Amino acid sequence: MALFAPVPETLSTQGFRMAKIGVFVCHCGENIASKVDTGNLVKALSDHPGVEICNEYKYFCSDPGQETVKRAIRENNLTGVVVAACSPRMHETTFRKACAEAGLNPYMLELANIREQCSWVHSDKDQATEKAIEITRSLVEKVKRNNELKPISVPVTRRALVIGGGIAGIQAALDIAGAGREVILVEREPSIGGHMSQLSETFPTLDCSQCILTPRMVEAIQHPNITVLTYSEVEEVDGYIGNFKVKVRKKARYVDMSKCTGCGDCIQKCPVKKIPSEFECGLGNRTAIYTPFAQAVPNVPVIDKNRCTYFKNGKCKICQKTCQIENCIDFEMQDTFEEFEIGAIVVATGFQIQDTSVYGEYGYGKYKDVITGLHFERLASASGPTAGKILRPSDGKEPETVVFIQCAGSRDPSKGVKYCSKICCMYTAKHAMLFAHKHHDGNSKIFYMDIRAAGKGYDEFTRRAIEEDEAEYLRGRVSKVFEENGKLIVRGVDTLLGKPVEVAADMVVLATAIVPQPDAKEFAKKIGIGYDEYGFYNEAHLKLRPVETATAGIYLCGACQSPKDIPDSVAQASATAAKVLGLFSREQLEREPVVAAVGEATCAGCWGCVSACPYNAIEQKEIRDRNGNLVKEVASVNPGLCQGCGTCVTFCRSNSIDLAGFTEKQIFAEVMAL
Amino acid sequence: MGIQEQYRSEAAALLSSGEVKLVIGFGAGSTADRRRPLFARTPEEAQKFVLDAACIANLSTYLLAEGLLSDGKKVGVFLKPDGIRSVNILISEAQLKPEQVVILGYAIENGKDVAALEGRNISDFSIGEKIRNLTPPPHVIEAAEKIEAMSAEERFEYWKEEFSKCIKCYACRQVCPMCYCRRCIVDVNQPQWVSTSSHTLGNFEWNLVRAFHLAGRCASCGACDRACPVNIPLRLVNYRMGKEVRSAFDYVAGENSDQKPVLASFKQDDPETFIL
Ligand SMILES: Cc1cc2nc3c(=O)[nH]c(=O)nc-3n(C[C@H](O)[C@H](O)[C@H](O)COP(=O)(O)OP(=O)(O)OC[C@H]3O[C@@H](n4cnc5c(N)ncnc54)[C@H](O)[C@@H]3O)c2cc1C
Ligand code: SF4
Ligand code: SF4
Ligand code: SF4
Ligand code: SF4
Repeated sequence: MALFAPVPETLSTQGFRMAKIGVFVCHCGENIASKVDTGNLVKALSDHPGVEICNEYKYFCSDPGQETVKRAIRENNLTGVVVAACSPRMHETTFRKACAEAGLNPYMLELANIREQCSWVHSDKDQATEKAIEITRSLVEKVKRNNELKPISVPVTRRALVIGGGIAGIQAALDIAGAGREVILVEREPSIGGHMSQLSETFPTLDCSQCILTPRMVEAIQHPNITVLTYSEVEEVDGYIGNFKVKVRKKARYVDMSKCTGCGDCIQKCPVKKIPSEFECGLGNRTAIYTPFAQAVPNVPVIDKNRCTYFKNGKCKICQKTCQIENCIDFEMQDTFEEFEIGAIVVATGFQIQDTSVYGEYGYGKYKDVITGLHFERLASASGPTAGKILRPSDGKEPETVVFIQCAGSRDPSKGVKYCSKICCMYTAKHAMLFAHKHHDGNSKIFYMDIRAAGKGYDEFTRRAIEEDEAEYLRGRVSKVFEENGKLIVRGVDTLLGKPVEVAADMVVLATAIVPQPDAKEFAKKIGIGYDEYGFYNEAHLKLRPVETATAGIYLCGACQSPKDIPDSVAQASATAAKVLGLFSREQLEREPVVAAVGEATCAGCWGCVSACPYNAIEQKEIRDRNGNLVKEVASVNPGLCQGCGTCVTFCRSNSIDLAGFTEKQIFAEVMAL
Repeated sequence: MGIQEQYRSEAAALLSSGEVKLVIGFGAGSTADRRRPLFARTPEEAQKFVLDAACIANLSTYLLAEGLLSDGKKVGVFLKPDGIRSVNILISEAQLKPEQVVILGYAIENGKDVAALEGRNISDFSIGEKIRNLTPPPHVIEAAEKIEAMSAEERFEYWKEEFSKCIKCYACRQVCPMCYCRRCIVDVNQPQWVSTSSHTLGNFEWNLVRAFHLAGRCASCGACDRACPVNIPLRLVNYRMGKEVRSAFDYVAGENSDQKPVLASFKQDDPETFIL
């Protein structure tokens, strides 16, 4: 199999040829030429031993520029090329391709970065020129020692794993499955749906969230290409792009998925009825055996082990007695594990809202009628605890005046988060509208810092809230909420009028900040992707690779990457699907041959590299003599797993590991040329 | 029966029963206060073992002789706690198999009395706590503190002076149980990372490479210090590196034999102050 193809000839000394190096100095318009005297650079390099030809040009990455390089390779039989230009991240691929087209092994190319590492960061032209000469020389010395490498091809398992069954995960799964590829969708809650299932109506069109979401959920679970694993979590991810091994823990539901008809009789009879429902944000109750909401997919209950009377006291089992189906409810059920071979992973683990109790001054947690936006969604939802009536949690009365406080956590470096949560302006406007539609005499006042409503139909939406639904916007911050004579007094400032204001409200709704899942960082470490200071997952490039992570084969969509509304989450989900399908369009994947190899003669078998390798790419290998006796054990790198990070090389005390493309000889020559 | 006689007969018994093929201990040395290693293969040879306060060398180095343990047979060895500590490190680095090492443990108390240590297998000696609380001899601490109190320039001058004495004899490497590589980095000449001649720069390269290679691995036996013919206080370097590793990773080498190599293993809460 290609995976175990012989290690590329890293350590071999390929037939020694006279070096004929071509050096191409790029001006990058003014980017380089304004700070580096390229004429001098060319002169200096032309005299360098082994340099056959040295040219300069305005843009070597352009078509004619690349042609020049190709022609020089052909006409001079070059053995190596150095392009003194920008960072390899920018144009290494471009020039490798050019080399290959001219018949030179693409790994006989080096980019001397005289832009990011020189012209951009220096102002003195003489010094910058001198530095550029040194950088270019050192790469010439390196390229003389480069070896011809061949890409490694690895097979691709065309099955995707989607982690998180919110709208983003569902969309990604449907798109991938729709193109004929298998998908494993893992959701840790008992039902898929995520936050969208909790929403009432959705901006900017005010369509009912459940009505547009439920069909998607059903489509996902019924799709022949999608395996939905709810109440399940990803335990371990091993391997690499195209070849991940993923272990999933299926938590014990105590209800047999294959037998349950979803009749709900057990839920009716469960005697533990007063458990605050997570789905209802504590505004309603649930039983110990429960489905989080009526439209749950799959419609199979789970038993909350910590709340169930049987698990607590060893007596009850009423649900089991009620259930018409034999052995459907099974108190002996255990967590089970399943392993999957996966080619690509989509992370769609979503968000949570910030715990607002840090804002003691807003009275959240102290006054029952100070609630979050998500509570408001449940109150406004037809399937919610009040059947869609906006009622005060404290006494069930209809509020007259509702105060909305935007940025209750966002854009507040002192107590909350620095960033803008992006969706709150929109959902607050939506809340004011819903309140106006449901309660014609009610009035809503919104404290805001700015109204950020950029998006198709978004500004029109907030204008509608102000103009048609008479939401009163007060620009300013709230300093305090306190109770007086049965009213919530909201004290703040109206900065447009430049004076303090006090509003007597019946209910206060906080637009709390959108923050990462509580376990976001640990989970990122588990699957091996990066995250920012908050715990939102990092994309490979904010502008140009927004749905890829820095780990090949792992993609991102939805609010786990940054606060996002539904349209953005869905768009991003479809984008990840396109990436996954692009990957799955091939049977084999070509990988960079920059991999490590162990010199078995000197390896001491200390296994330091084995534990140092962040990709578990190093194995132990036995060396036997011809009679089969064990001589020694040495380290051995699996080139399919190795990512070429070089950690092992730096660790090995006996200098027994070398990295193709960055061998010690090459690095040493580079350093000594400086 | 004195401890010397007791250990002689125990070594003889191990050999005559065939439990071990060899016992590594001490024999008489060139002067009254020196001992040299003695390799006994028969009960008779075992009668030549000497055990007294002059037996300070760390004999674990000899366990690593090429081919010695490849037949799977056991070898007995006289070890002080620092030797036991180095065996722990060597096991954790897969250089020794615990079942092949039979330990005749002893301790030197007050610099003159020799006491027996209970146990035979490495697992019998729980030295973890002892090692954690171990303080090097006062003169080592004193010297280390003096160097730490220096300014960076003074310190550099101090070590330049010391390292300039090095004659690249590599005695420190040969005697150190942790320097077990078949080919040492200084012997690599393609490319020649460490220059062979003993000028100050090359000496710096060598001594610092050795310091880094022993960071979090030194058993503090002092063998390198004693071996150095030009009296470079090598132990101070390793002592300091050990201190750094301990404060950064709460790791003390050789506490037990299941430790993971500190610089090659990662924990979620490892400090990352070097990442900007
Ligand atoms: C109060 C409020 C009102 C809103 N109103 C609107 C609106 O009107 N219009 C609009 O467009 N947007 C609205 N939004 C935003 C909308 O909720 C989000 O854009 C959307 O839910 C993001 O979807 P998602 O799939 O990325 O994340 P989520 O909906 O959070 O889904 C993530 C899923 O992943 C699961 N999960 C998490 N971690 C793991 C794990 N480790 N393993 C397995 N599964 C895991 C979670 O259980 C969850 O099911 C509103 C948000 C709030 C807070
Ligand atoms: S670190 Fe070096 S000596 Fe140790 S096992 Fe790996 S390759 Fe061999
Ligand atoms: S180069 Fe990196 S990924 Fe490859 S074997 Fe070494 S440590 Fe592992
Ligand atoms: S023993 Fe001393 S002189 Fe010899 S190489 Fe080591 S430090 Fe240098
Ligand atoms: S470095 Fe010196 S003190 Fe440390 S284990 Fe080696 S020989 Fe002993």
